[in-house]
Amino acid sequence: MAKAKVTFSDVNVTVNVPVGTRIIEISEAVGSYIAYNCREGDCGVCLFEVIKGKENMSAISKEEKAVLLARYQEIMDGWRATKDIDALQAKMQRENFIGKNCRLACQTQVFGDVVVAPL
Amino acid sequence: MTKSPVWLSERVQWIGALDPDMRSFDIILKTPNGTTYNAYAVRGSDGVAVVDTVKAECADQFFERLEAVARYDEIKVIILNHLEPDHTGALPELMRRAPQAKLYISQSAQLMIKALLNQQDVEFTSVGTGDTISLGDRTLKFLHTPYLHWPDTQCTYLEEECILFSGDVFGCHFCDERLFNDKVGDFRFAFEYYYAHIMRPFREHVINALQLIEPLPINIIAPTHGPILRDKPTSYIQRYRDLSGQGLQSEVNADEKTLLIFYISAYGSTTQMARMIRDGAEQVAGVRASLYDMEGGDSDLFVDLVEDADGILIGSPTINGDAVKPAWDLVSSFAKINVKGKLAGAFGSFGWSGEAVRMLEDRMRGLKMRLPLDGVRIKLIPSLDELEQCRKYGQEAGEHLMGVNAPRVIDMATLLASRKELIN
Repeated sequence: MAKAKVTFSDVNVTVNVPVGTRIIEISEAVGSYIAYNCREGDCGVCLFEVIKGKENMSAISKEEKAVLLARYQEIMDGWRATKDIDALQAKMQRENFIGKNCRLACQTQVFGDVVVAPL
Repeated sequence: MTKSPVWLSERVQWIGALDPDMRSFDIILKTPNGTTYNAYAVRGSDGVAVVDTVKAECADQFFERLEAVARYDEIKVIILNHLEPDHTGALPELMRRAPQAKLYISQSAQLMIKALLNQQDVEFTSVGTGDTISLGDRTLKFLHTPYLHWPDTQCTYLEEECILFSGDVFGCHFCDERLFNDKVGDFRFAFEYYYAHIMRPFREHVINALQLIEPLPINIIAPTHGPILRDKPTSYIQRYRDLSGQGLQSEVNADEKTLLIFYISAYGSTTQMARMIRDGAEQVAGVRASLYDMEGGDSDLFVDLVEDADGILIGSPTINGDAVKPAWDLVSSFAKINVKGKLAGAFGSFGWSGEAVRMLEDRMRGLKMRLPLDGVRIKLIPSLDELEQCRKYGQEAGEHLMGVNAPRVIDMATLLASRKELIN
């Protein structure tokens, strides 16, 4: 079976997985700090950052996109502590936050090598 | 008491409700003398604004007071500083009676309002810091103060009179019909208790909110629970500043990280483990590890330490298939603070089953702490090899804390098999 490498940069662990594996299946076992609540794509808690290999992940569904949008405001609030909210907001708009660098770990499947980190 | 409104100023009236018999609030809070749900009416030359409402059961008091200060068709604006049902219970009925009134909520309340009213097409305006509404000769200005204590919370400031409608911030559960802080009985304990249980988990957000609030001239703070603070209002802001700040200055350097190792032991085995783990962690440059025997203190004391710490390990023996009560008490106390993202782990000696470690780990994982390592479990007395295992565990925990752990590559099947083994 074809393999892919998933690297969790926060714990510095790389897992060799069969293609099609979801991030949720392995992130807790390696102790990565990607947190979960509902585990089925509703709550948006398991948001993570794609550092490398977004092209090697399953396409983003309409439902996942909606949840990411709902989380957007909350994330912004969390990052308010950075004190430079305007710069952050501009950066996120520039970089097309949704579907590009951030995904839900319970939804995203891996089809090639990726590097991920908790947000 | 007659259900008449109470004047805060020439244009502002309290139209809230008294709930003197409430004893247990939101399940988690106690109150020896009830609470109030404070709502306010602001009259401008162009209409009336209602700021917050009350719990559904107390709606009669609210409407009776509201009717004494304004006709429903005069209400131009309804402002919701917080959508929790104790402040929005009377909202659906108010919207029926004053259908022309426009709803103003914070940006983070937009999904919540739909779920609250079970109505997808509800009309509202979402506002953030700096947005204003004019009532003619009176202006209401918004402050975005999220997570105090829900994502949606905000404050509203009446510019011409320097009155801050603060929502739950600066509130407390204390019912006294004399209403004002210079008239009511001694409510200081209630103010402190409310901060400790409601606001403390959101300390970073309190600090952000204070940065918005402190520059404002304040004559009166009008919260949604408890006394209206018109005498020395800024002293209550200062108290929040103190409570959200550090206590004694920390002696830990900026480039160091702290690891707190809590343990409790029946026959000394878990104590031995804790000491070795500490020694292992201390081998990593930058780690400041400390040991605390839970038998010599309680969670109220320890929780202050945990709040400031970077990592927490808990050692518990297994007794009757469970971790021991002091360990659970400590973990329960984490709900009072923010532990999200802190490094955590568990370890312990056991006689014949040894479930405590995994149970503690699962609970801390559930609190969204970061558990990169599987904790050490040792049957009965630790051997030299097992103590070396503890030292290594401490060292690896320290390395994770400092972000210097060595890279590792593992196959998924091996990884999941090892997890299964750990759980069984």
